[in-house]
Amino acid sequence: MSITETRQEAETPSGETAAAGVEADPITGALGSSDHKTIGRLYVVFALIFGVGAWVLAALSSAHDAKPSILSADTVNQVFTLSRWGMVLLFVVPLFLGLATYIVPLQVGAATVAFPRAAAAALWTWALSGLLLIIAYAVNGGVAGGRAKAVDLAYLAVAGILVALMMGSISVVTTVLALRTPGMSLERTPLFSWSMLVGASMWLLTFPVLLANILLIYVDHKYGKPSDFGVADSQWKQLAWFFQQPQMFVFLVPALGIIGDVVATMSRRRQSNRGFMFAAIGAFGVLSFGAFAQDYFDAQVWQQAIYIAMGVLIVLPAALALAGWGTTAASGRLNTKSPMLASVFAALTLALAVFGSALFVIKPLRLQNTPTFGYGLLVFVVGTGALAGLAGLFYWAPKFWGRAIPEGLSKLSAVVALAGTLLAGLALCLLGFATRFTGIADATDQLNWAAALGAAVIAVALVLALVTLIAGIRGPDAGDDPWDGQTLEWATASPPPRGNFGELALITSPEPLLDEADDQEEGS
Amino acid sequence: MAATHVLPAPVVQRPRVLMIGTAFAAAASVMVFSGLIAIYLSRRAEVVATSNKWLPEGVKIDLTQPNMMLFTLLASSIIVQWAVYAAARDDRRNLYLSLGLTFLFGFATINQLSYLYSLAKLDVSTTQQAVLIYSISGAHLVMMIAAMIFVLLMAFRSLGGQETSRQHDGVSAAALYWHAMVAVYAIIWITIYVTK
Repeated sequence: MSITETRQEAETPSGETAAAGVEADPITGALGSSDHKTIGRLYVVFALIFGVGAWVLAALSSAHDAKPSILSADTVNQVFTLSRWGMVLLFVVPLFLGLATYIVPLQVGAATVAFPRAAAAALWTWALSGLLLIIAYAVNGGVAGGRAKAVDLAYLAVAGILVALMMGSISVVTTVLALRTPGMSLERTPLFSWSMLVGASMWLLTFPVLLANILLIYVDHKYGKPSDFGVADSQWKQLAWFFQQPQMFVFLVPALGIIGDVVATMSRRRQSNRGFMFAAIGAFGVLSFGAFAQDYFDAQVWQQAIYIAMGVLIVLPAALALAGWGTTAASGRLNTKSPMLASVFAALTLALAVFGSALFVIKPLRLQNTPTFGYGLLVFVVGTGALAGLAGLFYWAPKFWGRAIPEGLSKLSAVVALAGTLLAGLALCLLGFATRFTGIADATDQLNWAAALGAAVIAVALVLALVTLIAGIRGPDAGDDPWDGQTLEWATASPPPRGNFGELALITSPEPLLDEADDQEEGS
Repeated sequence: MAATHVLPAPVVQRPRVLMIGTAFAAAASVMVFSGLIAIYLSRRAEVVATSNKWLPEGVKIDLTQPNMMLFTLLASSIIVQWAVYAAARDDRRNLYLSLGLTFLFGFATINQLSYLYSLAKLDVSTTQQAVLIYSISGAHLVMMIAAMIFVLLMAFRSLGGQETSRQHDGVSAAALYWHAMVAVYAIIWITIYVTK
């Protein structure tokens, strides 16, 4: 079976092929484009740039905890909150959304993303709102900021970011549900597309709840005394649930799909126990629904059985996914290419994150009494997101730009990101035990410095990733399918032309390109 | 591997794309109100537990306008479904009439809400009750305006002949979002206006 059929009439009279699709003016083309590939590229690059800034702020925040004279009393809160917004809403979520906007239509054999103009509007709304948020913070706004109008502006910017990310999510989930090529049933969709369907659906169910919080704070702050929600001291407390267990895991759902696709392709094996992997990703998404766990409005929520159960049970789908990846990798040929390396690292930090989640909800450990353990978990979650994002980026970079990225530099980026995540995450999690062990309490400053260093190291890793991509643009031709891929994105040119595909054959399995290779082997 | 890029781009097929996208948008909108109403109920329970009264002294929210709004919106829900029925049968006259009436009923509801605002002596600058009630009803107003714009766009598409018996997903999607908006109002009606 051939995946595609080639027809002579596709050639234009001048002999050019339909592959053209290259914009005459790259800047104008990028600004006005509703091509999902351009949108996806821009998301990824902007997210990496925002991510560097967010991790630098996180490093500053931890350094201030070690040496309180580093930041002034006015700015410490701003640095703290902006780093959280940045890590989640400007970095990890849009990084996955960018990868999905580019790759999901290709994986499901679609000519475009659903609602391409809405996807373009979402990108620019997100990017401009992100800039607006930074500007608002720069003029003493942001959460509990000193200048009232700048505080309102910051909340408007966050609302804009949330609406944009939801619009982008709707484009992606609709693509998976409605634009699959004939024969590709939902159970035959690649793991990344499935994980985006689950993850983006959960984003659409939880981000609006944060939007509701933002709305109340904004209305009370702008028009009220403020009497309740908009009071400076209570603003962040209302929003903190978004960065805590279990909600924080909702940002990680796409990571499970990326690792699954990378491990299967790199091991040159079909993903074993696909049904279990689908169930694991679905369960991980459901167990990370955290909109109910708003401790500001219900102080007892952390003692509720459902909260504790979700914190512990999330270990199960993660373990199932780890077992699935391990089985697939063990049955195949192991290699240490950069996507595989970053995937293994992401799996390791994911395991630590869910283990930490199970510890966090156990009341006798008293880890909920200090903010540092919870922040350590967030670092593990966002660090895992960074590593999985890098794995996806290195894996699909040839598809993004048609060029091979420098292997050494990409591996270095993954190793540095792992080192930073472990350093910052472990240091902060250890600090959570400071109330129980005097030795840890005595080493508080050193551990805060370690956390600051770890966050700075992650920022360096993201800079390295950007350098890798820039170097990759000038790299050698990667070919259309450098990894002997299994899924449809590797059945088209790199980068794909407008319309992505020609005429696709009926899909009969989750790995259509392996089916084709098997058929050719049998034929010969 | 055959080179796919030498082939012409296939015709983009959009099987119920707009319906699916609208369903997710409606779900996201409903979640905004879930969050708002959960906070409203939580705060109300706290205040009632201490003072036995939720609304501040001197504030009275009459039920007449909320009831009128509910009946208007329930009627509009039937009418927007009439539009789907008409579109499925290529009944242009009834389609235009029903979409126009849906828009009109939405406008009438906005009018009622503005009148209710003028009657209720709620000062947003003094109480958390006012902040909550204005935020929830204001957010619903935004949702209603979005639904009205959606209906209006579909009306223009119908005028342009793009909504036919074979393909009327646009009208169906607009109706779906309208129903979600009405359902949200029904919950607001019970939570805010009836259970004061």
